[in-house]
Amino acid sequence: MTSVYQSKFYTLYQSNTDRYFYIDFGQKVVKLSFCQLLALRQKVNSISIEAHFDADLNKHGFEVLMLCNKEHLFLLNTLEILDLKNLVCYGFALLGISSENTMVAS
Amino acid sequence: MKNIARQQMSIKVSSMDLLNNQIKLEAHASATYLAMASWCDQNAFTNSAEFFYAQSAEERDHMMKIFKFISESGGIAISPTVEDINHDFSNLEEVFETALDHEIMVTKSIHKILATARNDQDYVVENFLQWFVQEQLEEEKSLRNILDLFELMGRDGIALKLIDERVTRGE
Repeated sequence: MTSVYQSKFYTLYQSNTDRYFYIDFGQKVVKLSFCQLLALRQKVNSISIEAHFDADLNKHGFEVLMLCNKEHLFLLNTLEILDLKNLVCYGFALLGISSENTMVAS
Repeated sequence: MKNIARQQMSIKVSSMDLLNNQIKLEAHASATYLAMASWCDQNAFTNSAEFFYAQSAEERDHMMKIFKFISESGGIAISPTVEDINHDFSNLEEVFETALDHEIMVTKSIHKILATARNDQDYVVENFLQWFVQEQLEEEKSLRNILDLFELMGRDGIALKLIDERVTRGE
């Protein structure tokens, strides 16, 4: 397995043999197809981080994240969400299908 | 490292995000035209109502075209939620003026995606959007022609009825 990108809490891997992606969440490693990785990106990007700083919108500052068609469930705090957003942004850039390539290169 | 992600998807994720936003816009336009058709029906502008029913269906077709393109490119197309549809209009001219403003907003959005795709060298998306550029030109022209009728024929009761009759003739 090749490490694509490592953030503070998480690591994204790519396996050339089974053509799957793996994210090490610390407690467990989640296996994702490309479509599931795209779905994770969609879910993470749609999380409003501003809501974490507004007690009316997100009282406890936690986010429930369900992955791979509800196979996995994570409860993440603000810092973990920020870190996951970071992993998604840079991870996809390094996978070569995001326009943020130049940002990563610099 | 093998480029597995690129093997699975033909477009950039940034383009996919913008196209998913465009799906939302087209869905919103379709629902807005439906609200306009309803207003026209309520106010006895039957030809204008038919015009907006057709426009609404056309916007949905645009939405589906983008939706299928994303899926066929290996991306994830997001089914849109539609909120905040205005059902209140003061008069027929305002209905068409709002429709034109809506089309201009859609055109701007298409141009923005096209510019981004060109910048990212995402040529598949650039090529796909060319059809929309031409389509938007025609949509705007059609609404501008109808708005011209208000200048030519006036805004009183009989003029409005005559304008409504001409809307069906593709003015």
